Amino acid sequence: MKQKAIKVMLIDDEVAFANTLAQRLRMRDLKVDTAYDGEQALSKLKQAETDIIVLDLKMPGMHGMEVLKEIKKAYPDIQVIVLSGHGTDKDEEEARRLGGFDFLKKPADIDHLEHKIRKAFQEKDYVGNCFC
Amino acid sequence: MENKNEALRLLQIRFIGKILAAFTHEIKNYISIIKESAGLMGDMIKLGKKSRNEPGEYLEIIHSIEEQIEKTNDLFRYLNRFSHRMDTEISSFNVNETLEELIALLTRFANQRKISLEKDFQRDIPSMNNNPSMLQFLVFHFLEEKITRLDKNSRLIIKTESANGSTVIRIIPKGNLLDIDKDKENFTYELQDNVVRQLCGNISLEKEETVISVPLTPS
Repeated sequence: MKQKAIKVMLIDDEVAFANTLAQRLRMRDLKVDTAYDGEQALSKLKQAETDIIVLDLKMPGMHGMEVLKEIKKAYPDIQVIVLSGHGTDKDEEEARRLGGFDFLKKPADIDHLEHKIRKAFQEKDYVGNCFC
Repeated sequence: MENKNEALRLLQIRFIGKILAAFTHEIKNYISIIKESAGLMGDMIKLGKKSRNEPGEYLEIIHSIEEQIEKTNDLFRYLNRFSHRMDTEISSFNVNETLEELIALLTRFANQRKISLEKDFQRDIPSMNNNPSMLQFLVFHFLEEKITRLDKNSRLIIKTESANGSTVIRIIPKGNLLDIDKDKENFTYELQDNVVRQLCGNISLEKEETVISVPLTPS
């Protein structure tokens, strides 16, 4: 039986970075969509089912932390992995407090990122099925 | 007097810190893109996903890498020039070049607020003999202040012109400016005045437009 493809949304204002990383993740059999700022991401989330979000922090307009807060409020089942080039320990703490699944630093190893996405997906099912 | 000088020194250190933060942020982004692009080529070889347009795809990725390296190189050039402005207190310089590097290093900060920085420089503007680093510090303050106060999706025009033996720099906001709490302002009028006196120039505010006028040669 074919496994369900994991639906990932990459949110990053660096268009070239987002598109290239999306391509690499697609080559690893993930279904990837991109958004280039927080507002666009929130609008896309209304229309498309998403399992995992990979989120940058420093973006024009809405900061990544605000986006994370909004996502967890509207879609608590979606797992969010923060991928930031400039995050501090304090940012990591804040992201986890807001419900972020993991915090990675750019540039991240692609295999490591893929592993985190798959792990987040497994735990998403677990969180969805339990009463915690 | 000593306190005033100390306050000014702290603001100058903060200014350099902000420029370095903007620079490293941008460079790190370029490096991340280069890494992912190289990784993508590696994936295409390793994972063996063939496509009909393979050579074209490789060339496209190589072009993207070259583009990022070029951007990195430009930014390093600006930072290098910016650093050398501090070599001597007074030197001969082109005001447009001085502002160009400041704008390049501040673009990221403006983008974060969705503000576009636009240059309207007079061509063939005469060279100045003054303190370029201090001038950058002064202009930075007003750019930062206006970027912070402007509504999203606004424009900020930086205009240069020469008039009566002086260079005039106009910082023109195009958009709604939010009010600021003057009491929380670090770069007080007193400190601004101190910097302007060192440049032998003057500052005025015409509506919301900041006008900095600096003589080509301080008397």
